[in-house]
Amino acid sequence: MERQRELKMELPDLLRLSGIGLVLIGMRRRWRTTVVVVAAALVTGLLAGLPLFTAEGPWKPLVGQLPGWVTRDGQAGIINLLGKAFADNRLMTLFILTLPAIGLAERYGLQEEAGRLIRRVRAATVGRLLLVYQGFRILHGALGIRLNGHPSFVRPLIAPMALGAAGPHVPPVAEAERIRAATAAAENYGNFYGQNLSPVQAGVLLVFGVMQGLGIPVNVWDLVRHTTPVVGASVLLAMIQFWWLDRRLRRHGGRD
Amino acid sequence: MDHLTPLFARLFSLDSVYGLTGLVLLVFGGLSWRERRLGNGAFWIILGLIFLFGGVLPHWVTGLLVVAMVVLDGTGRVGRRGEPSAATATPRPTPAGARIFWPVLAIPLFTILVALLFRWLGMDGNRGALVGLGFGGVVAMLIAKLVTGGDLRTMMNEGRRLNESMGAVSILPQLLASLGVVFTAAQVGDLLAAGVRHLVSADQLFLLVLANCLGMALFTMVMGNSFAAFPVLASGVLVPLLIRPYGVDPALAAIITLTAGSSGTLLTPMAANFNIVPAALLNLRDQYGVIRYQLPYALALWSFHVLWLWWSIRSGRP
Repeated sequence: MERQRELKMELPDLLRLSGIGLVLIGMRRRWRTTVVVVAAALVTGLLAGLPLFTAEGPWKPLVGQLPGWVTRDGQAGIINLLGKAFADNRLMTLFILTLPAIGLAERYGLQEEAGRLIRRVRAATVGRLLLVYQGFRILHGALGIRLNGHPSFVRPLIAPMALGAAGPHVPPVAEAERIRAATAAAENYGNFYGQNLSPVQAGVLLVFGVMQGLGIPVNVWDLVRHTTPVVGASVLLAMIQFWWLDRRLRRHGGRD
Repeated sequence: MDHLTPLFARLFSLDSVYGLTGLVLLVFGGLSWRERRLGNGAFWIILGLIFLFGGVLPHWVTGLLVVAMVVLDGTGRVGRRGEPSAATATPRPTPAGARIFWPVLAIPLFTILVALLFRWLGMDGNRGALVGLGFGGVVAMLIAKLVTGGDLRTMMNEGRRLNESMGAVSILPQLLASLGVVFTAAQVGDLLAAGVRHLVSADQLFLLVLANCLGMALFTMVMGNSFAAFPVLASGVLVPLLIRPYGVDPALAAIITLTAGSSGTLLTPMAANFNIVPAALLNLRDQYGVIRYQLPYALALWSFHVLWLWWSIRSGRP
């Protein structure tokens, strides 16, 4: 095992961490995310002593004439790193090619048809309905379909269905509130963990690209394979939580 | 078969799907430009050019183009909403019934078929999935046109509507991966690794796994985004302290680390889209109602991540 190193953070080291600080502050303050990310790259690179441009092509003859932080011999430039990485990772944005087909299908009633499919599900209890919906969203993820289901499914469809499934009487306010929160949770559970089942979804591609950049290439299909236990656990835990919700509703709700 | 493979490889290459994506982006940009939404148009046209020529442009030119896109977004010139969409305004023509699912299902089907074909030809399966996604998109366009009878113009306009509803956020994964590369060049990861090493000795596997998963969840909670946290944690903790010294399967460790962050997403108001906006959409009295409901689930699932990763490394599973 490696010998434990002394931690000596000197000023230049701390400055190099300022990029992370910038990301943290920027995200909290809700500055434009794209700007925060590129600013963090520039600040981190400059403070670590990297020049803006690699000394090659038209920049080569300018070495010595421009200040060292613009271009300098022997060090990769931040703008060059940025450009190369952005071009290398174009694969993460290939999904744009699927938008015209999905857009046209949406215009001709894709969402309505999916809603009809869900409504056909006869789930006896709130918990079972939520579990079916979570499964439906995992299926979306595995098929590589990107969707934020809160506005398109949860609000117009799943929340009213869940309240309806709670029983013939209107449930007490606190219970209704809990049921609605649970519908939003079912959406998140299905969305977050299901999407890694597809090798072309953002999460898997991000991991693929980042690991390649770190010199440890991984296979997208292996990423999918190794995410299945997590998906299994995510469903199992949801079953427990939704079963618990049903039990609670039977006790407090207006069913009996 | 052998003489076919080079031709096949050239046609079904990443470069050709990048080219196709670039063309679609140019169309999106052109449509915006014609409506005098110049900032929007310029943003998507630049991205289209990077897709078409990213492989041949000098890297510093691509880098400056990226900075230009981000400046356009930062100055508020890239709208996040499409126009008050014609999709909802005009009544839809004949509904296509359940056949409307065909184009959407064609995309994953094609992705898997091409990936299998690549594997069968002894080529890279990663590439196969991506090329399949690209050509699947094109096949889906054809099927969508056949099933609905809509025209190409409507299709491109609808595609643009979807694209602009996401806005500049869709290039975020690409930007974050680039940030990871700059962090690596600036040796930020080494600093983080030194920090963790200071707290945990290198042979305490369980504590290292805990630091990895906890760091991921905390960074995600603060940033509101596990995709932003992953490059930082991967370069600072996951690779130097777990993957390199312990020889664990990098695919397993990496994807587990990513979803350890998802538990953080379930718990943070910073992920407003998933937690706060829905609470408002559903008229909850408590704006943190969704987060409160998710709390026990997120903690339990996060613990599963820690135990699963620890057990996988310890038992040396392949």
